[in-house]
Amino acid sequence: MPRHVAIVEDDAAIRANYADMLKKHGYQVSAYPDRKSAAAAFRVRLPDLALLDIGLADEPDGGFALCRELRSLSAALPIIFLTARDSDFDLVSGLRMGADDYLTKSASLPELLARISALFRRVDLQREPPAAEEVLERGPLRLDMKRFQAAWSGAAVDLTLTEFWLVHSLARFPGHVKEREQLMRDAHIVVDDATITSHVKRIRRKFQAADPGFGAIESVYGLGYRWNS
Amino acid sequence: MRVSLRAKMVLVALVLAVIPLVGYLHVQQMERLLREGQEQALLATARAIATALHDRPELLELRAGQPASGEMELILKSLARADSRIWIVDQKSRLLALAGDLKRSPPPEEAPGPLDLATRLVRPVTSFILDRPSNDFDDALPEEEIANGPVATSALQGVAARRWRQTPDSRAVILSASYPVWDGERVVAAVVAEETTNRIRSVYNRAMEQLVAVTLIAFLAGGLVLLAFASRISTRLARLRDEAEAAIDSQGRVRKLLAGSAARDEIGDLSRSFSTVLERLAQYNRYLESMSGRLSHELRTPIAVVRSSLENLKLERMPGDAPVYLERANDGLKRLDTLLTRMSEATRLEQAVRETSRERFDAREVVRGCGYAYPQKKIEIDLPDPPVPIKGAPDLYAQMLDKLVANAVDFSTGDEAVRVRLEARDAQAVLTVSNRGPRLPEAMAGKLFDSMVSMRPADGGREPHLGLGLYIVRLVAEFHGGTAQAIDREDGSGVVIRVRCPLDSGPGP
Repeated sequence: MPRHVAIVEDDAAIRANYADMLKKHGYQVSAYPDRKSAAAAFRVRLPDLALLDIGLADEPDGGFALCRELRSLSAALPIIFLTARDSDFDLVSGLRMGADDYLTKSASLPELLARISALFRRVDLQREPPAAEEVLERGPLRLDMKRFQAAWSGAAVDLTLTEFWLVHSLARFPGHVKEREQLMRDAHIVVDDATITSHVKRIRRKFQAADPGFGAIESVYGLGYRWNS
Repeated sequence: MRVSLRAKMVLVALVLAVIPLVGYLHVQQMERLLREGQEQALLATARAIATALHDRPELLELRAGQPASGEMELILKSLARADSRIWIVDQKSRLLALAGDLKRSPPPEEAPGPLDLATRLVRPVTSFILDRPSNDFDDALPEEEIANGPVATSALQGVAARRWRQTPDSRAVILSASYPVWDGERVVAAVVAEETTNRIRSVYNRAMEQLVAVTLIAFLAGGLVLLAFASRISTRLARLRDEAEAAIDSQGRVRKLLAGSAARDEIGDLSRSFSTVLERLAQYNRYLESMSGRLSHELRTPIAVVRSSLENLKLERMPGDAPVYLERANDGLKRLDTLLTRMSEATRLEQAVRETSRERFDAREVVRGCGYAYPQKKIEIDLPDPPVPIKGAPDLYAQMLDKLVANAVDFSTGDEAVRVRLEARDAQAVLTVSNRGPRLPEAMAGKLFDSMVSMRPADGGREPHLGLGLYIVRLVAEFHGGTAQAIDREDGSGVVIRVRCPLDSGPGP
């Protein structure tokens, strides 16, 4: 049975393009232009994954409201924000609502598809009993490569998909400097340097919440970042 | 010449100097009247005595040179005035009688008035301009005055006369009036009455002193009040000017708004309208500054439409040349995207600058990293041995350095390497990036670090230039409490961009 992806996007052209694209990749797609129709449909039947725009027609924060609604209906449903807004503030707000990832509309469809398939993979594995684990361990860091879950000294660190990929890219080869371009490739995003910088900042903050002395991600100015073990 | 408002106001007040002038004329007039009165009184005295002696030649049987006695003395005494001297001379110029003394009375007493203190205070000044009457003058009756004095002579010819003359020592002025004494049809003698003008002088002086005192007091008080008023106005205007100047920085950005005074007068109005104008300017500036950010935001949606359409198209089977055109469309889209990213970069940086917390870092490490970042280009890096601690954000500093180097590399001509130099000097971390190349265009002086200002020729190159690079440099420099400056190399062979940030003098991290 094809997976069901819901798109809530007020721009008809983008909505149709994304829907077509996802259909071509074998997903079943429902597209909604505004919050009301989407919310009504979600109450009848939950999708397997939701792509939400933040600004919906006359509701500038309609996407956030929808995200809250969805989260109350299901804690496990993967949610991705897809928006023209790219300010850090919106990013943080969106992630706090419980979204699994956040992409700007400048992201390409392959970037989007990488996320969708990764999130589905995670959902599948969470249903199955833990079998063959694929785990990367670097000192206190433990990355569950199948479930996209990170832990520091045994404490879970709640990373988004993008953040998880960034950490993985860095931690795979400790001591090697990862340039921003490499990081972007590994995290399946194409953004500007400043966005990478703010991603890294957020990652550091999340690890510091678990361990105030966290200093494993080192900036190599002008170049990129390095994982210090 | 710059004349301050204060000075102008005081100058205008000089018109009031007419008032003491009028006072002066008035005092002069009064003196003239007094003198006239004195002359008349003296003449009346002389006439009275002469009348008493009319047709009584026996009284004039004289003991020349002796003081008058008997009835004569009685007449003289009863008719004489205080402070006056009366003498009688006959046709043979013999002095028949002499009575009274010019100096006898004490100087007139001044009734203490409210202006007394003031007059006494100004006396050192007034004594320069006023003749102070003195009792110490030569009051001798000169022989010549008796024999040939015009007053006596005129009376002896039957015509009453009066005259002012100086005492021989010139210390006082004496007024004399004469009247003939008739015996039948014949003038037998002349009565001459004399008085000094000292009494009038005293009155005159006193009036003048009071006038000067009043004038001085009025001018002093008026001047002070005017000065205070003018000062207040100038201060308010100066404050308004300073505020207006401080409100807009050298880049023409509105830093802060004028408070707009609540005063209910023209200056208050001015300050309020300034405030309004500045607010509008600030709004407009904000609009301009946010424009690139908003524009890029607004453009993202249509670009997403184009991109997703192209990506869908790629999955289709396409006829003949279609993939070539698709590739070109993608190329254009990529450029458009770069453009948008750069546009929003400045906006995002402005945001980051507001939100980033400051930490202490060693600028050397940031600069060293930039050497690795441009391995393919020739860059010479010169770092000092001791650390260069700065308080700020290393990421932003690196971003700034990146912009500086990128800028220098773009403008660099020939094979000379771009020189990056960091040094600690005068409690400042001075970062200079220098490249060989064309000089700075003069027209751009002072504007290079503004948003959307580029000195690149519009050559339609592949890399879009929005002139935001140096603007970002400025933002970061300002975030670190520093300044950015672009100058030509001393020998004119290139350009140096210098960023100074204060060193962090605090204890280590």
